[in-house]
Amino acid sequence: MGVAGYVALRVGWAAVVSVIIVTVTFGLLAAAPNPSVQQAATQAALEGGDPQEAVERERQLRGLDEPLHVRYLDFLTGVYTLEWGWSEYRSQPVTTALADAVLYTAQYSIPWTILTVLFGPLIGVYSAANMYTWRDHAATGFAFFGYAIPNFFFGIILLLIFGVWLEWIPIVFRTEVPAFSLANARQLAIPVFVLVTGSIGAIMRVSRNESAAFRNATFMKTAKAKGVSPLRAYAYHVMRPTLVPLSTTLVGQLLAIFLGSSLLVEVVFGIPGLGRLTFNALVAQDTNLVLGSTLLFTFLAVVGNLLEDLAFTVLDPRISYDDREL
Amino acid sequence: MRPGRHTIGAAGGPSITRRQWLTGLGMGATAGLAGCSADDDSGTEATDDGDGTGSEPDGTPSVSGTYDTVIPSSFSTLNPLYNTGSRAGTAIGRTLDPGYTFNTDGEYFPLLYDLSTDDGGSVWVFDIREGLSFTDPYGQVDASTFVYQIRELHQTDWAATAASADWTGITVEETGEFQFQAELPEPRLLWPESYDPLLYPVPTDIVDPYVADEDVEGLRQEEALLDLSFTGNLGGYTLEEWERGAGTTYSRNDEYYLRDIGEGPELFSNAPYFEGASIDVVEERASRLAALETGEADSAGIPPERFSEFEQNPRVSTYRIPQPFNRILSVNMRDNGWNAGPGNLFRHTAFRQGLAAAIGKEELIAGIFRGLAQPHYTWQPSWSEWHPGDDAVTQLGTGDRYGGEVARGLVGDAIADSEFGYRFDGNALVTPEGETITLDLYHLAGGETSQLIAEFIGEELSDSLGIEVTIEAIDAVRFQQDYWTAAPQGGTDTVDGEAVSWDRPTPNNPGPRSVTSAESWDMSIVYGLNTYPLNPLTNAAFFDGADARYNPVGYYPEFDATGVFERARSADSEAALQEPFTELFQNLAEEQPYVMLAFGDELSGYTPDLVGPTEDFFNGWDFPAWYFDA
Repeated sequence: MGVAGYVALRVGWAAVVSVIIVTVTFGLLAAAPNPSVQQAATQAALEGGDPQEAVERERQLRGLDEPLHVRYLDFLTGVYTLEWGWSEYRSQPVTTALADAVLYTAQYSIPWTILTVLFGPLIGVYSAANMYTWRDHAATGFAFFGYAIPNFFFGIILLLIFGVWLEWIPIVFRTEVPAFSLANARQLAIPVFVLVTGSIGAIMRVSRNESAAFRNATFMKTAKAKGVSPLRAYAYHVMRPTLVPLSTTLVGQLLAIFLGSSLLVEVVFGIPGLGRLTFNALVAQDTNLVLGSTLLFTFLAVVGNLLEDLAFTVLDPRISYDDREL
Repeated sequence: MRPGRHTIGAAGGPSITRRQWLTGLGMGATAGLAGCSADDDSGTEATDDGDGTGSEPDGTPSVSGTYDTVIPSSFSTLNPLYNTGSRAGTAIGRTLDPGYTFNTDGEYFPLLYDLSTDDGGSVWVFDIREGLSFTDPYGQVDASTFVYQIRELHQTDWAATAASADWTGITVEETGEFQFQAELPEPRLLWPESYDPLLYPVPTDIVDPYVADEDVEGLRQEEALLDLSFTGNLGGYTLEEWERGAGTTYSRNDEYYLRDIGEGPELFSNAPYFEGASIDVVEERASRLAALETGEADSAGIPPERFSEFEQNPRVSTYRIPQPFNRILSVNMRDNGWNAGPGNLFRHTAFRQGLAAAIGKEELIAGIFRGLAQPHYTWQPSWSEWHPGDDAVTQLGTGDRYGGEVARGLVGDAIADSEFGYRFDGNALVTPEGETITLDLYHLAGGETSQLIAEFIGEELSDSLGIEVTIEAIDAVRFQQDYWTAAPQGGTDTVDGEAVSWDRPTPNNPGPRSVTSAESWDMSIVYGLNTYPLNPLTNAAFFDGADARYNPVGYYPEFDATGVFERARSADSEAALQEPFTELFQNLAEEQPYVMLAFGDELSGYTPDLVGPTEDFFNGWDFPAWYFDA
């Protein structure tokens, strides 16, 4: 099987996965009670109306009076024609809601990812190169601190120091600030820092331990014997094999912490991104929006894994598909 | 225009911005239900980007700065026809004035229209202010705008607008270009105070296509209604952008009609006084308070535990604003309540009085509310015009009506009246078998104040009556579904010697005491309720007989509640209302249908250079006249 075939297979599998995920999510939502129906009944009762009538009206408004299979098929058709419906929670089309939120999430998650991917392995290799010195201990301490301290708490503390005491950064996130501007960099600096410290630890530790194994490898001895500078030796001969096992976990790891971390950081810093969007959609039982964001995350995870596998083959030429020569 | 309702003077109405959506749209109780009556610290907040600089030649302050409100959650819609949320109400109110408001004296103040009646509240005349206009090309606001809206939207089945319940059975008729009248099925002297006749005008041309097609989805999703682009001169500001999840931004409206009305505060003549405004969504409370502290926000709600800290902070001015949502101990008088032994002692008035006497209100307010609350003896706050006066109601839980001795005396009366053999073993109430009484008490999960109140009640009942209280935290939605409501069944029962039939059961009063929720429970402080001080007749929903619409606890009045409400409904003057209301609130204080505890104040902080806020329930009614002092 060639790369093209492999990619096609993966994409096909992604489609199956998406159907399963959409179905499971729909099932869960359909089984959950809807508080808005209850609320409508309560309000009608308070206002002297007929609660039963209010319940029926609310169910009809939300399309809950249709049979389950009809609702499911309608839903499935909509999903695959990109008609993701109207978000009641935000009073706008789901696709617009997601696009808006992705814009804000991207503004901090792109620098976050770049910095994590860049500095995680670098600090790890640096730590390995200076193993058991104070530099190693300092880097390890930094990694463990970032990993251990909850982002939510760390964010509030930094907001207190830099926002309230020093007044270097604004407390309220301003959406009207242009994406590429100093003002935006200023209001995103602390959220990005919090997220990077939270995610860099694991990567740094893995790369430190991985690269430690290559420090005294024969190819390093050869490189040293040929007079290669330590910087070049580590950059070319240690970093590359170190990244191979890392790349298998990197994307998955980042995606796994993406939703949780970004929600808490978005709440603290008031960023209207994907994390808050998804969480609030769940709380408000906005079916369309929940499904839309689920699909988006499914897509991100699937594509991320695909890229991860491709990166794997690029980084390590020893790994090949059965019939790579084709 | 000559206002016709200046003499009403009913106290206790909400300011027209955020609270109007609570009380006006029947959401007061719902907000209380959500447990946010005392814990809610979500007041308005703002940012001053400008420097207040002196005044204009006419003596009015100069226009300066921007007023940015910070709120803890975003809005789901800004469509005035469908909004039921208080925060979205504030967001809409920046650009679109409602029909009327009440000033700090509780007097009716006409905004878009005046309301008057000369036949005791049967027919109400709406006089619409001239000179009101929508944005081009939607033309002027006149009687036909409102009459069309009422008839074609609020009074139809398909549209299901937020105000639909308010207009049922009312006949509206256009009587002039700027006048129409509404004929009510029965007289309602306090109709304006109920906020039922409150309307937000929307252009007929926008809604007409949806009316023709009876397209409710289209109407809800209409962009012109959602982005409030039609508001013309009807509000102090124009909506610039609604960034869902982040909030709204506004620019000053130079054409605001309020400048020319010739009544109200003189400051209205050049209103509003901010160059712009915005409402930012900041979900984290610590962040909102930080914004208040740095001056990035001009005002914010403050939780009780941090109020004294902000009182000492020169960068913030603090305000205690009274409000009508109460803290109550609900006791379950239905068959699945009182799980400590045979029968149900909660059904005995003397027992409920005993509970009220056992819980020290002053101690509760000093210890948990940090002094930032008022004691609650009857179903009205003391500042309400309809409160019968402190001397007229029994003040259980205070002074010589507080303590173990008083409580045991009252409980003794109750057990003497009970057919079961409950008795006192020393100072402790025990079951007929001599076992300790153990009752569960539910409070809202995650609410610190709520938990502290529960613990305090537990200690008081243990000290005074030897009752062991098991405290349970519960999610509001779960409590609502499995404990507080039940499937309506109806039925009949004998109440005070008379047969009562539950002909229209509701989830909140599903039937007689034999009809119960899915889960059994004894006591709860999960929900607070609105006491409706502006129009106490609304309390009929709670107390108008055992079959009242909202009676989850299974309370059977032992006084002639139906007769009292009937007399109040048929009163032909506001003076005549006082007598039935006094009787009602004296009886409720006596019977304690819910064991009443306290009214927590709404705690707000503002930037010190903001001029306008007052420590009054109607705070914010004159928001267009607020300004930054230099």
